[in-house]
Amino acid sequence: MTGVQITGLTVIGHDGAMVQPLDADIAPGRTLAVIGESGSGKTLTAKSLVGLLPRGFRAEGSVRIDDTTIELTAGDATWRTVRGGIVTLLLQDPFTSLSPVHRCGEQIGWTMDAAGRRLSRGDRDRAIAERLAEVKLPARVARAYPHELSGGMRQRVAIAAALAANPRLIIADEPTTALDASNQAEILDLLRAIQRERELCVILISHDLGLVRGRTDDVLVMRQGEVVERGATADVLSQPRHAYTRALIDADPALAGRTAAAPVVAEGDDAPLLRVTGLVKDFGERRVLDDVSLEIGAGRIAGVVGESGSGKSTLARCIAGLEREDAGVIAFDRVELAPGRSSRTPAQMQIVFQDPYSSLNPMMSIGAILREALRVARRPAGEVGSLLEMVGLPVEFARKRPAELSGGQRQRVAIARALAPSPRLLICDESVSALDVSVQAQILALLARLRDELGIAILFISHDLAVVRMLADTVTVLWDGRVVESGPCAQVLTEPRHEYTALLVAAAQRENSTITVGSAGEDSTE
Amino acid sequence: MTAALELVSAPTVRRRHRLPVTVALALGILALTALAVVFGGVIYPDATRQDILSGLLPAGTPGHPLGTDELGRDILAMTVAGAASALVGPVVVAAGSMVLGIVLGTLAGYERGWLDIVISRWTDLLLALPVLLAAIVVSGVFGGGYWVTVALLILLFSPSDIRIVRAGVLEQTARPYIEAARMLSLSRWRVMFRHILPNVSTLVLTNAMLNVAFALVAFSSLSFLGVGVPPGTADWGRQLTDNRAIMFENPWAVVVPAVLIIVVAAAVNLVGDWIGQRLSQVGVAL
Repeated sequence: MTGVQITGLTVIGHDGAMVQPLDADIAPGRTLAVIGESGSGKTLTAKSLVGLLPRGFRAEGSVRIDDTTIELTAGDATWRTVRGGIVTLLLQDPFTSLSPVHRCGEQIGWTMDAAGRRLSRGDRDRAIAERLAEVKLPARVARAYPHELSGGMRQRVAIAAALAANPRLIIADEPTTALDASNQAEILDLLRAIQRERELCVILISHDLGLVRGRTDDVLVMRQGEVVERGATADVLSQPRHAYTRALIDADPALAGRTAAAPVVAEGDDAPLLRVTGLVKDFGERRVLDDVSLEIGAGRIAGVVGESGSGKSTLARCIAGLEREDAGVIAFDRVELAPGRSSRTPAQMQIVFQDPYSSLNPMMSIGAILREALRVARRPAGEVGSLLEMVGLPVEFARKRPAELSGGQRQRVAIARALAPSPRLLICDESVSALDVSVQAQILALLARLRDELGIAILFISHDLAVVRMLADTVTVLWDGRVVESGPCAQVLTEPRHEYTALLVAAAQRENSTITVGSAGEDSTE
Repeated sequence: MTAALELVSAPTVRRRHRLPVTVALALGILALTALAVVFGGVIYPDATRQDILSGLLPAGTPGHPLGTDELGRDILAMTVAGAASALVGPVVVAAGSMVLGIVLGTLAGYERGWLDIVISRWTDLLLALPVLLAAIVVSGVFGGGYWVTVALLILLFSPSDIRIVRAGVLEQTARPYIEAARMLSLSRWRVMFRHILPNVSTLVLTNAMLNVAFALVAFSSLSFLGVGVPPGTADWGRQLTDNRAIMFENPWAVVVPAVLIIVVAAAVNLVGDWIGQRLSQVGVAL
């Protein structure tokens, strides 16, 4: 039990070193946080430690885990004996990290098998149920396929699978980015408890400073492949020495408060742009939406908050007509809309999805995607440039393909496409939750600007109360398919009436206060 | 560990496009075969001419480097002329079943409902038909012939294309970019053929290449059994069956067409695999 020593870790790509030589020690039972925005090399660092670097990249250096020393230059055969059993990787994407064609219990079982533990069928089922209980999932999840679970539940299954082989080092690459605030804290606290108990070493890669604080012991701040600051987490976050660390702290929504002051709209004016009344939606036996009502005034931003599985995405999809509601009324500009797409026009509403990687057709150029959307609105193809400009992208991007763009840039293109038919309502379904904090802040600022400049109404759906608070005028809290609270943003936040809301607010404020206390830097973000 | 199975996309990494030796060799073989198809008639304008008086000649006879068969037909000339039926038919079969697969598979996968049920049950029915039996029955009813065989094989090959396209379309349809297209109220045809189809093209093209190889073997088998091309046609499978009897007098008469069937089928497979890999590297979503 000597912990983990990383010596001279370097990642080399086509254009030279992507990660400069890096050394780090992690004592047993301790957690090292690696923070930085996308492109800082934190994910490459993580992948090099499990021998999963993408093609075209190679690593140098070595890592010692207890008594095993692994050269990072090792071939796949060597890594296969190490991965899973000694070191394991938790990935950030709960949508693709599980096999879609196998039941969850089976997938947890694989890791147990890989660790060389042969169990009888009954013992195995019990062991799988125990693993699921560890991540607070009922035993019946073992029989479920990943698509039957919400994103948060899937990530819990992935965590259970990763822990099943009793690894010595866990590398968690943004493991909770897609979970809601209360779940996020719970999962990481749980991971920490198990880690302490078994004296595991954890490397937590994150952009979320609120999570890093209080749940990690040491921190490395990376920028462009270099470690710019390191030390005990509490020290680094309370007294950042490097300007970049301060910038990261300032960009965190839990700290920053509202980015855009909402214009005061006169009360008591005409009917709302969108009015949803008594919406009900069943998936088979399960009632996903139960008597949900909601209003959005023209040019206002309405937030919908809820944890994964609360039905918030289904609500968005019913409003957009991508899903047919079973009962209830959706009225747009006082006109009742029949269920389904055919009753809606592109100029009424558009939607921006969560996953920037599959929101754009990979075979079409950005220009072709935007031209198609413009043609729908009978706008000239020449307006592609002004659309790109509106979302803060250079005109030359029209020639690029989605694969050449970062997540944030793709999301901007998705917003530009949604704006092409000049919709009066923009539905953002978790549109910023897959993005880094700094990119997230930029997209939120963009949405606030679009509302101010175009007078567009926005239905902003998120699991993250801290993010909703920055943008929304009103908040609706969904819990298990029901509206448990709704009202003006400030009122709901200061006087939550439902205990679930109180929990969400507390979770968001916990992050907020720890960061606020910790941030001494006054430097502004770029 | 399942999480480790995630495929890492690295769009910024440029790969050198070096042609593997095996693929270069396979491309060479296919090029030679194609040349034989185009210029075979020029070199041997009268390949199937019989010369019963001279009869069977061994390899090495002046004017007949590979000898002749029992009917006095030159083996080399027959083999070169046989390239046409070996390549054209399979390519037409693969292309034809690809078109059927694209149209029916896309309709089934995107429209779902009763159309999907009808098309899927139809593919099940076709898959249940034994190829040889069907070929024998059809040639019995319609009198056989090259193009009847082509039509039959298109029909019998289409289920794999339909199923592959349908599965690909089902997978793509659930993706946000397709929902974004629906939000723009684009026509279903535009969504199907402009958005979905290019994203399943890798699957479709790779499968079509594999089908060329399968069709070549299927053609040769049918000709060998006498239900493919009519007697007297230059065809490698036909040569096998015609020349079985003289295997010991002139082994080349059997060995050459047999080896060519194997080599050309293997070459098509290799090139098909390689094209599939190249396409998926360019960023075509599989």
